[in-house]
Amino acid sequence: MMNDQPVIRTQGLTRYFGARAAVYELNLEVPRGGVFALLGRNGSGKSTTIRMLLGLLEPTRGGGSILGYDIRALPPEARARIGYLTEEHQLYGWMSVRACGDFQSRFYPAWNEKIFRGIIGHFNLRPTALVKSLSRGERAGLCLALTLAPEPELLILDDPAVGLDPVARRSLVESMIYLTRRSDRTIFFSTHQLPDVERVADHIAVLDRSVLRVCCPLETFRNSIRQVRLRFPGTPPPLPKIPGLLQSFRSEVELRVTCVHYNGATEAALRALAPAEMEQAPISLEDAFIGYLGDRGEKSFILSETEVQS
Amino acid sequence: MKTLVFKEIRENVKLAVLGLIIYTLVLLVLYRDYVASPTNMSQPLADSSLVFGTAWFCGIFGAVLGWLQVHNERRPDLWAFLIHRPMTRSGIFLAKVMAGLGLYALVVGLPLLGFIVWARLPGHVAAPFEPAMLWPVAMYVLGGVLYYFAGMLSDLRQVRWYGSRVLGLGAAIVVSPLLAMSPELWQALVLILLGAAVLTTAVWGGFQRDGHYHGQPVLGRAALTVALMPGCLIVAVIATLLFRNFLPRDEVLRRSSNYCVTTNGVIFKVSDDGMGQQTIVDLEGKPLKDEKTGNLIDAAAFNRRTAAATSFDVETGDDRSHQNWMLNDFLLVRAWRNDPDTLWYYWRRYGRLVGYDVTTRRCIGSLGPKGFAADLVGARDRFDETDGPAGTRTLRTATALFQVDTVQRAANSLFTTTEDDPILATGEVANGDYGWQYTIVATKRFVYLLTAEGKPVWKVPYEPADPKSTRLLLYCLEPRDQFALWVAPGGQAAGGARERHFGRVMWVARDQGVMRSTDLPALPAPHRGLMLEEKLVSLVMPPALLAALPVLHVGLWANGVPREVLLLSWASSILVCLPVGLWLGWRYRFSFATQAGWAVFLLLFGVPGLLAFLSVQEWPAREACPNCKKLRVVDRTQCEHCGADFAPPEKTGTEVFAPLQAG
Repeated sequence: MMNDQPVIRTQGLTRYFGARAAVYELNLEVPRGGVFALLGRNGSGKSTTIRMLLGLLEPTRGGGSILGYDIRALPPEARARIGYLTEEHQLYGWMSVRACGDFQSRFYPAWNEKIFRGIIGHFNLRPTALVKSLSRGERAGLCLALTLAPEPELLILDDPAVGLDPVARRSLVESMIYLTRRSDRTIFFSTHQLPDVERVADHIAVLDRSVLRVCCPLETFRNSIRQVRLRFPGTPPPLPKIPGLLQSFRSEVELRVTCVHYNGATEAALRALAPAEMEQAPISLEDAFIGYLGDRGEKSFILSETEVQS
Repeated sequence: MKTLVFKEIRENVKLAVLGLIIYTLVLLVLYRDYVASPTNMSQPLADSSLVFGTAWFCGIFGAVLGWLQVHNERRPDLWAFLIHRPMTRSGIFLAKVMAGLGLYALVVGLPLLGFIVWARLPGHVAAPFEPAMLWPVAMYVLGGVLYYFAGMLSDLRQVRWYGSRVLGLGAAIVVSPLLAMSPELWQALVLILLGAAVLTTAVWGGFQRDGHYHGQPVLGRAALTVALMPGCLIVAVIATLLFRNFLPRDEVLRRSSNYCVTTNGVIFKVSDDGMGQQTIVDLEGKPLKDEKTGNLIDAAAFNRRTAAATSFDVETGDDRSHQNWMLNDFLLVRAWRNDPDTLWYYWRRYGRLVGYDVTTRRCIGSLGPKGFAADLVGARDRFDETDGPAGTRTLRTATALFQVDTVQRAANSLFTTTEDDPILATGEVANGDYGWQYTIVATKRFVYLLTAEGKPVWKVPYEPADPKSTRLLLYCLEPRDQFALWVAPGGQAAGGARERHFGRVMWVARDQGVMRSTDLPALPAPHRGLMLEEKLVSLVMPPALLAALPVLHVGLWANGVPREVLLLSWASSILVCLPVGLWLGWRYRFSFATQAGWAVFLLLFGVPGLLAFLSVQEWPAREACPNCKKLRVVDRTQCEHCGADFAPPEKTGTEVFAPLQAG
């Protein structure tokens, strides 16, 4: 496989559960190297996508390849090159930490014991501790050690930080950063933790209601989303149709508008509302993401009198 | 793979220990029962309790073990952890099966081996043993493997529990009784191998696609469908019988006629018109009337006049085709007589009565036609096979009949014949208080009636008018020393033979020979209409199975399936199952080959086939094609009506796409 070929490529990848499309016509390319974050709200199809990529779920139609192998028939040599960390961090409860390592190591010729020991040490895991006695964070650490020690070429993490406390989450992210120091490695992970994304991701893709809406470098996404604050002398006028409008928040004299692809046409449309003041507010990735994936339409900060009284 | 095998063993070791304890307890109960009764004449290794206990244990343990081996990892993330090994799914499946079957073999094998060793050590069991006696147990131990795979399949399949999840167990459940019903041992073995092959392939196919049907290799899909069929048949039959309870009772026409001999030696033809009305006429067609009242006699009064018959078949001594392998294995040794200090068995291998001391539990020697010997073979003299009841007082060779006295350890000759007129069969005639009254001996040319001491009462030629007339019925008439001997069609051919000839009756008196005889006219075969539940069950029976029953000689209709049953089965298959299958195939756009395959399957396997079809299929959703507006299935890349591609996701104007650079 040529190095400039994407490590993951899907064409029209679709999965239905009953009559509902969990992933619809997904065309995605993940470049080699770097960290790729797959974002989306709950039920948007992130885990389904990952499970299809790893051949754990049969696509309804469409297909794809991972490291050049057809996802419908991943051979053992492909799996040996892919590390996969599941969402729930489930392992065999009766095994000890050490036994988990031994078990895993026998499947991977490239097993790096140093990495394994390093990570379980980082998470303060006793080798003799049974998996069933570990906390969720400790289990996540163990899973991460088991996933990283074979030194996979491609690491796929399905919402790895879910349920972890900030310390464990930070450890996890640090481990990911450690892995990506080697430039030929690729990390593809789904998450809700936007600070983590901000810290480690190079590229993001966003699934919105089963459909891929964003696939770009992180900075491109951040730069595409703008928030504009409009102040009016009185009650703000109703919003006309504005290109790229994601959300607007209305207060007594203020209108806050979040847009994508902010350009001259957008600005002209907003100026036509004749605001007394108009300024672009800085926006964090989290706000951009919420703006992008939040419910479309207008929201109001003004509570009714009855709501205030209650 | 070794790592995975050890992991599986470690993971299921608790269940294995539990199973080991339970099965050991089962065998300990059998041991205790045997030891508690020193005069117990059963061979514990050939005892039906061992067979049934083992069959139940192996079935339940096998199913639980198989189910648990999959269930332990059925949580999605743990399953993914397992499947995402750098090894093939077939390898993972093989590792699980190797570990599971290894544990199964240990759990069942260790206690059973201990039990066998105990039973085979001299001084423990006072009964003969042959290795073939272990076949029934061995078959059910092997049968447990089917339950193991069925258990795996039940948990592996991605369907709802109250849907079709446990249907796989049906295959194992159906095979179990068939093992005992198979005529030959090799047929039972083939049955197990076939069942195991189907279930193993079905589970293997399930492993390829995480328990889903779609995406499996063709072999896996076919095996899964076949594996679910027996379960579907069980469900269909149970549902039909439950449904039957809501319907009114029906009257069934059962026409039959037969001959009866009264105590004064007159033969009457008794006909039942199927509506409960009996007609009793003599051989000239005159109705039987009460001598006192002149009224037609009723069935109850007639039954009081009929003579009791002692019957035996001259063919059974050599013809064991009606028995099956398991019964034959149980009959390798027959408990013969229980004397106060000795237990006597007829051992087929040696053709002798073999004695075991009650106290020492050891063999004391054997009794043959030439008398007692301290070993098992004596002077290689042996009694012929007998089907008479155990403990009967006589045994025979080809040319002599012996009264066996186990107390004196002697065999006294009662009757002898020549080699060109060998004995075909013998029977004992008991009087009312169960003492022996007569012995009847059928040779190739004559039938002899002897007193209990061996003195001849009479001798008549054995000249059956029909070669199928192999059944002898002896009636002791009144006054005393008057007899009727009916040479009737016997064995499996009796049903067909009676339509040609119903045998010959000879009236014989003591020391006078045959006084007269008559050939009984043929009678029509009994006719019985189908009951409503039989009709309903016929509707859900697979036509292919009904066609195979007479060929396999298995089951209720081994000698031929009634035409009405076949018609009903084919009718439901052609008129209901096939159209439903074709319609579903059309609706979900099956390919021509798939459609044709299912059509043939549904035609041959009827309602159970349809249920299996519905159980395995995962129906794709349908949605309107934006091009032609017709509903199309979502698992095709193009519309089956107009060929249009699926529309790309609708643009919202908020998409952000940019080229990605490799890191």
